[in-house]
Amino acid sequence: MAQAPVTTRGRGGRAGTWYLFLVPALLLYSLFVVYPLLTGLSYSVFSWKGTVRDAFVGVDNYVGLFTNEAFRSKLLPALGHNLALFAGTMLVQNTMGLAFALAFSRARRGKRALQIIFATPYLVNPLVIGYLWTLLLSPTFGPANTLLRAIGPDELAKPWLGDPSTALPMVILITTWQWVGFPMLLFSAAIGGIPAEYAEAARVDGASSWRVFWHITLPLLRPAIGTITVLSFIGSMNTFALVYALGGSSGGPAGSTDVLGLLFYRAAFASGDINAVGTASALAVFLFTFIFGTTILLNRILRQGEEAM
Amino acid sequence: MRLTRRVAVLAVASLTALVACAPGADSGSDDENVTLSVWGWGPEANYDKMFAEYTKDNPGVKVDARSFTTATEYDTILSTGLAGKDGPDVAWLRAGAPLQPLVAAGRLVPLDNSSVPGLADFNAGVLQGAKGDTDGKVYGVPFAIQTLHVIYNKKIFADNGIAPPKTWEDMIAAAQKLQAAKIVPFAVGGKDDWTLPIITSIFGTSRWGGDAFLDEVKAGKKTFADPNFVAGVDLVNQLKPYFPKDVAGVSYTDAQTLFSAGKAAMFPGGIWEVNFFRTNAPGLDLGTFSAPPPPGSVAGKALLPGFMDGSYGVSANSKHREEALKLLSWLASKKYGQLYTDTVVQFSAVPGVEPKDPILREVAGTYTSNGARYFMNEFAYGNPSSQTVFSAALQEMLLGRITAAQAAAKLDASVATWLKPR
Repeated sequence: MAQAPVTTRGRGGRAGTWYLFLVPALLLYSLFVVYPLLTGLSYSVFSWKGTVRDAFVGVDNYVGLFTNEAFRSKLLPALGHNLALFAGTMLVQNTMGLAFALAFSRARRGKRALQIIFATPYLVNPLVIGYLWTLLLSPTFGPANTLLRAIGPDELAKPWLGDPSTALPMVILITTWQWVGFPMLLFSAAIGGIPAEYAEAARVDGASSWRVFWHITLPLLRPAIGTITVLSFIGSMNTFALVYALGGSSGGPAGSTDVLGLLFYRAAFASGDINAVGTASALAVFLFTFIFGTTILLNRILRQGEEAM
Repeated sequence: MRLTRRVAVLAVASLTALVACAPGADSGSDDENVTLSVWGWGPEANYDKMFAEYTKDNPGVKVDARSFTTATEYDTILSTGLAGKDGPDVAWLRAGAPLQPLVAAGRLVPLDNSSVPGLADFNAGVLQGAKGDTDGKVYGVPFAIQTLHVIYNKKIFADNGIAPPKTWEDMIAAAQKLQAAKIVPFAVGGKDDWTLPIITSIFGTSRWGGDAFLDEVKAGKKTFADPNFVAGVDLVNQLKPYFPKDVAGVSYTDAQTLFSAGKAAMFPGGIWEVNFFRTNAPGLDLGTFSAPPPPGSVAGKALLPGFMDGSYGVSANSKHREEALKLLSWLASKKYGQLYTDTVVQFSAVPGVEPKDPILREVAGTYTSNGARYFMNEFAYGNPSSQTVFSAALQEMLLGRITAAQAAAKLDASVATWLKPR
């Protein structure tokens, strides 16, 4: 911030021009974010004949989401799976990310290399990752089960993605495998920003490594934890590609990996319904409102926690 | 800075690629040379070959076939394409439910015997799938009929002293014999639940009585909760011991691989699999049979379910409607029908076309005498569609979570949301 002389001459001469710099970003934002959101909203209050807009129906499409048994019975389980993914991501992926970041922060050599290796999978498209894991976990030809049979009793080999009780945990583990590098990098940066003196002072006072972590490192990581929590929440609520690749559009087996994104996909693209656009738009607006609202709430709670420190 | 520049170059490059891929950019504008663009979901090479024949007979008209292979994406691509200016002149249309949004939106040109003379000869049941439900008009020239049966590996059958079964008991005995020889009797991929109504239809159609039952459901006289339908669905449960272990975790491609690798003896599936197995496992000697009638079968004989797969329709936005209709007349001709069945190795929907392929010939004979309508295609309406609902229910059944009666009840409840008995 030291070399930012922009405000030194006061606001006078520049007051008229500063907002011009916002225009390009604002245009792009309006075109690609605001406009689609508003059209989605407008689509949802009309009935549709294929891609041709028909009559204004008010909230009928929304009412349909909750009165049509087939939607109503899927909506809550799907939401539950999204939340389970969020919880799993927090517990497994982000905890591991933190552990790796801590371990690497002490590494003398190879830190960069390890960080790159751990972060690489998130550069790969989730569809590709889903496909590869489907092959690895295939009960008939997959190497995972061949390996398990070789090292243990036959019961160890399971249809990991074909059993409703293991499918969702597998989704969490595969998500972790792909994304663990992301919290790791964020935590690494945050840990790098904590002055070493704090820990040294505590050690001089006789604190154990665990106490240093619990009372110094972790509290100072709170902003990073907040950011990761919010990003994980949005990521888990919007998940689509991986579950689609692993369990198909119906979130198989037996709907055990069904999520809100798949529900929307089926409503929009996998039904012969003439009013599919109306129903799907209503669902999309509902999901957006829910995710947006929860994110703001979550953000506020986390902020308050930080300020209270 | 170097990085930013590289990103910018990449961005420009990908934009150029996008523009280059924009569909239908040159739909032909000079009067002498018309290019008709045709969108579909089949392999492009086949269509280029067939349409080259059309250009030979109709100089000045070129046909540009473009293929969008994936199932659900095609519907979206097509509905967007037909709504805009750069869409196709002629497009493959799905049969039944997925066709209706396009009809309702007025995107297609209704056809009749004067605009497409060949239509008059088509089988009424086949044309049904190309009709608008509300106006009863025909919107497409059907191109293919798919049949559903058990495909088997002749060598494995011979090695184990098994003949294609004539009775249900024969089939179960054969399955047990194969299992004892460590061969998977039926390659079924229950993880991809869309395959399950097909499996159910192959084994159950004869049990619930085929077309007569479907007509009674449509008329509101029976429902899918009917004990005969439930018993038909339950046959899949009874056959489960002869499917691959943990069948709900086995994918469709795994099932195909089991069969083409010679680890499974039978593959219950559509006629389109024959071409797939021929290409991917050329050494396999294939045969087909219809599942024999199970005990209590209403039809009392083996039935071979089939359905009209798709049709060629003309976009209402086409600038070359006249040429497009002329192409459709050719597509309704025996010449195209023959070309189609010989090139794609599937049944042409054009009446009177004799396939050359021996397996197709064999199935065609049975279809004429024992054909039945595939139940799921006629009951795929609703949002979520009854097909989605029933596919998921069948998967739950294979997982042992619900009974056949509960799966049938789910289909019944879903169908009740949209079916208005006539």
